Amino acid sequence: MKTYPINLTLNGEPVALEVPAQRTLLELLKGDLHANSVKLGCGIGECGACTIIMNGEPVNSCLVFAIDADGATIETAEGEIEDGLLSDLQQAFIDHGAIQCGFCTPGMITSARALLRKRAQPTREEIVEALAGNYCRCTGYEPIIAAVEAIAQAGAPGKYQPKPAEAPPYVGGSTPRVDGVEKVAGTATYVHDLVLPGMLHARIKTSPCAAARIVRIETEKAAAMPGVRAVLTGADLPYKLGLYMQDKDILARDVVRYQGEPVAAVAANTLEQARAACDAIEIEYDALEPVLNARDALHADSPRVHPELGQYSWMEGVFFPQPDTNVAHHQKVRKGDVAAGFDAAAQTFEFNFTSQPVQHVPMETHTAIAEAKPGGGVEITTSAQSPFTVRHLFCHTFDLPTHKARVRVPHVGGGFGGKAGIHLEPLVYCLSKAVGGRPVKIVATREEEFNTLPSRQGLDARIKTGVAEDGTILALEIQYLWDAGAYADYGVNIGRAAAYSGAGPYVVPNCKLDSKVIYTNKVFGTAYRGFGHLEVHWAIERNMDLIAGRMGIDPYEFRRKNLLRIGETTITGESFTEGHGHPEECLRLVADAIGWTPQTRPAEIVRPGSGRVRAKGIAVLHKAPAMPTFTSCSAVINLAADGAATVLISGVDYGQGTYTSLAQIAADELKIPVETVRVPFESDTDFTPYDWQTVASRFAVMGGNAVIMAARDALEQIKEIAARVLEVPPEDLVCEDRQVWAKDRPDEPLHYRQLVLGYTYPNGNAIGGPVIGRGRYIAKGLTNLDPQTGQGLPALNWTYGAHGVEIEVDTDTGEILVLQIASAFDVGKVLNEQQCRSQVIGGVVQGLGSTLCEKFVFENGRLLNNSFVDYKIPTAKDVPLSMRAFFIETPHPQGPYGARGVGEHPMISVPSAVGNALANATGHEFFELPLDPERVYLTLKHAGKEG
Amino acid sequence: MNELRYEKPASAKEACALLAKAPGRARILAGGTDLVVDLASGRSTAEELIDIKNIPGVREIRWLPDGDLVIGAAVVMRQLYEDERVADTYPALAQGAEAVGSLQIRCRATVGGNLCNASPCADTAPPLLVLGAHVQVVGVDGSREIPLAELFLDVKKTALKPGEFVTAIVLPETSRSWRSAFDKIKRVRGHDLALVNAAAAFDPAEGRLRAAIGSCGATPLLLPEVSGINPGDDPAPISRRLAESVTAHICPIDDVRATAEYRQDMASLLCRRIVTRLLDPKEVG
Repeated sequence: MKTYPINLTLNGEPVALEVPAQRTLLELLKGDLHANSVKLGCGIGECGACTIIMNGEPVNSCLVFAIDADGATIETAEGEIEDGLLSDLQQAFIDHGAIQCGFCTPGMITSARALLRKRAQPTREEIVEALAGNYCRCTGYEPIIAAVEAIAQAGAPGKYQPKPAEAPPYVGGSTPRVDGVEKVAGTATYVHDLVLPGMLHARIKTSPCAAARIVRIETEKAAAMPGVRAVLTGADLPYKLGLYMQDKDILARDVVRYQGEPVAAVAANTLEQARAACDAIEIEYDALEPVLNARDALHADSPRVHPELGQYSWMEGVFFPQPDTNVAHHQKVRKGDVAAGFDAAAQTFEFNFTSQPVQHVPMETHTAIAEAKPGGGVEITTSAQSPFTVRHLFCHTFDLPTHKARVRVPHVGGGFGGKAGIHLEPLVYCLSKAVGGRPVKIVATREEEFNTLPSRQGLDARIKTGVAEDGTILALEIQYLWDAGAYADYGVNIGRAAAYSGAGPYVVPNCKLDSKVIYTNKVFGTAYRGFGHLEVHWAIERNMDLIAGRMGIDPYEFRRKNLLRIGETTITGESFTEGHGHPEECLRLVADAIGWTPQTRPAEIVRPGSGRVRAKGIAVLHKAPAMPTFTSCSAVINLAADGAATVLISGVDYGQGTYTSLAQIAADELKIPVETVRVPFESDTDFTPYDWQTVASRFAVMGGNAVIMAARDALEQIKEIAARVLEVPPEDLVCEDRQVWAKDRPDEPLHYRQLVLGYTYPNGNAIGGPVIGRGRYIAKGLTNLDPQTGQGLPALNWTYGAHGVEIEVDTDTGEILVLQIASAFDVGKVLNEQQCRSQVIGGVVQGLGSTLCEKFVFENGRLLNNSFVDYKIPTAKDVPLSMRAFFIETPHPQGPYGARGVGEHPMISVPSAVGNALANATGHEFFELPLDPERVYLTLKHAGKEG
Repeated sequence: MNELRYEKPASAKEACALLAKAPGRARILAGGTDLVVDLASGRSTAEELIDIKNIPGVREIRWLPDGDLVIGAAVVMRQLYEDERVADTYPALAQGAEAVGSLQIRCRATVGGNLCNASPCADTAPPLLVLGAHVQVVGVDGSREIPLAELFLDVKKTALKPGEFVTAIVLPETSRSWRSAFDKIKRVRGHDLALVNAAAAFDPAEGRLRAAIGSCGATPLLLPEVSGINPGDDPAPISRRLAESVTAHICPIDDVRATAEYRQDMASLLCRRIVTRLLDPKEVG
């Protein structure tokens, strides 16, 4: 291959090398020059993860041919570090909570640096403009903007004042992220960055058809191509895979069930060779009639997506698939006497709502490396939400004993539910086996992330409500139809959770709810931040406003009247207690914050003739972890010679900040400085103790409890040795700042360093030994739901919340501008205030994505917008003008210090609050998501309200 | 992607000779923001890249003594809209250039590329159309100048003959006194391709108004001129006339980005908004 000499300067160092003309600068920086901070997010210049500074200008390195950089000066985030110290800008990112998963962080810092070079004191508008080319899916941008603003305000290098260090007690404060430094420095390593010795690269060939019989696959030509080591098709892989339902092939066998489904795979020496070989595979399909929506799928004469449904294995007693239909699961909830409830109602309302499938869009696409070991073992390194669940499902699929498999999860560039369960790991394992055990890596392209990997399910909701004259809800009859796509994955559990949560946080004496998870020939659905709750709250909370409007009741009052309160029961029969928290207080806080005016739904015209109107909307929400009744978590704390602690845990912090909260908990419990607590960012089934999965906003609660117990266990061991040395009972000891003393002898302290590896007397005798704390937590008291009535205790802890929003609608274009959003949650206990706020802001902006712009566009089952060109997510320019978070702290009896989860909740009910505001602004009701400009405009136009 | 050769000629003549040697197999490389993606995705193929950035003048903005403005084909968007004289003289062009992609894209994407890529939604096309731009084209047989409106033949198709490429875009002195503006409809506030974009220019001396619409047909479209307008005229009837003309001339389609109906209405809206900006004394300046 012809190469060309180039010279460039990378972070001040001259570099000379030879490149082929087609190599991009991104490939050069990552592949040849090992610039870890430069990330591939899309490869088409839309996401900014690969931003570098080239000759002083920020550019997407994926869009520059390396040869075009001949003579250029190039800077990356690595160049920010001077003499081993972070730059002011990097420090400001840490101080302002501007980092979560960290995958976009180096690119953000680079874009900010390029701006600050040109303008030392940029305005907010200039900052937003400079950052808007960098997608971030976690932070909601506001903390990043704030970090750059802080540097701008400091005015000159060296003038920025870092945030002072936190002091104990740490819990409740804002300890900076434990992973902040490596993320701003660009040294945090993701699977995406990993290269193992001898590693091969895999590519997949996917189905162009939504439903088809595979007639013929011709792989000979591909197998003979240069560099190709293995070609696999479904015929080679007689395995069934699945989280709750074993319904999925690793590569499609005989039939394809969605466009984008992997049909064949290649492992080759280079990515280029693997890609070329995939192109050379010939597949002949015989198209079948696709099932395109959930409602049609229920017709008796609809084609069956899985005719063999009855032969699959599934988690029995929890899920109820209906063989010879397209129903993967039917969850029922029955409470009271619905017919009597409707009879007693003064008014009955019935509405239909839909919410659209969307994608999680983690900045790091799914990626995995597998190495088949001699003797039948396997090592997997994967960008997943849980090493143990991957191991469990993997071993189940391949009938492998657990001790044969090791799963490692390093830094993960965002998950949001999409990386829960198991996805690409089995495929790379099979490829590795096929090539004799060399490690094989696959990185999903952004297009495959949309087309092949799972998304959020669509929902079709029908709600019938019976209401008494005074506004009391008497009966609800609900049908939720979930468009699960081709495979059940998490979808069945979403259908289950959305059933027991599905009436909203209200008192409903009589309820009949049917939640059906339905197979269709589309990309399959899975958990997405909020797990069905954003979708059902779109229906429930729009329903509340619609009814309030028709009955002439203030929507605030209507909600307040019906909210769950002490003494009432949920629709599954759970008693509502003080420990549940205060939904009404959440509602009051947000209504006050946005200045909600009772009894009025005013639309305020911004300026005559401008076409712009403003209005407010409110919505409440609730969610509990949706998980099996028996899920558990464990933690181990090792103490180092100087008394520093290492917390080992297998929950994954893919951006939420949980590890930082756990470090705070460990520091407070052990009485050591939080800076001396290490929470390694690699979970490993060989080294970190069991955890079920990091999903469902459960990790801070379950991991927090496990760490409290582990820390107390370690402290007891420290005290036990100290008690012997100081010759007092352990209960007479006081611990503080890594020291322990007898309470009446504070002048004779022992330092932890004298105790944690064992105490040595002056004569050389030793007692004790290394201190290892052990903690565990298992969900307590939960029950499976009754198959017929749904009655039972499904929820570990409910978190209640509310949003209040003010929007401005441009009726000429349909565009919605969010002026302000106030959000309140009863979190039980704020473990880390900065992280809590970050979760809220990030979740709200992600929720606005689902509300205002994100959608899949299908044409006969074919996804038309499988890239960032036509799947738009919010940018720094798309954030509300004001976002505020409020926290209520009603302790939960089982939570660590009373804390509840709040990772997912900020996203829930954002669409409904905006939808309610939109109805108030325009006088027109919207029943479908998203509320994108075109839908809003055309709906108003056809309603005869065109401006 | 197949194996590629790379050339960086030092003159237009040399570039033409290289292009002529590999007809249909060589591609001009300027900013590369479209080309890199097209080649990597297999949407187009090439055996040779001819990087034009060493050709004298292609990265410069020059005001000729006769008042014409010559914009080198490889001038990047940021260079264009951050040039104060360009922004003052041709606001629509600066606004169009600033509406392209994200900042990272605008630091690489060139005016020549934006036009020669011949996308119906190119953001610099409507401004350059209403301002009467010509493109300077060179080929083995010498150079020629063609009106921009004649450059666009179809989606991704230009009137350039094999062996030809654009070296510069020329704005005539006559349009320097015109008022102009650009606007765009997107799906988000952040970077997005135009669902519809539009520019208009008003010549106060002659009372003439020209408008161009993008993303509503196979090519960006220059509408027939509206004449007899005085500065200070009520913009409403003029917008209506223009909107009727828009409706009559554009042929938007339903696609993944928007429906034809939305595009149609937004094209009219953009015309109304731009005309108001150009004619309403309160909005001017």
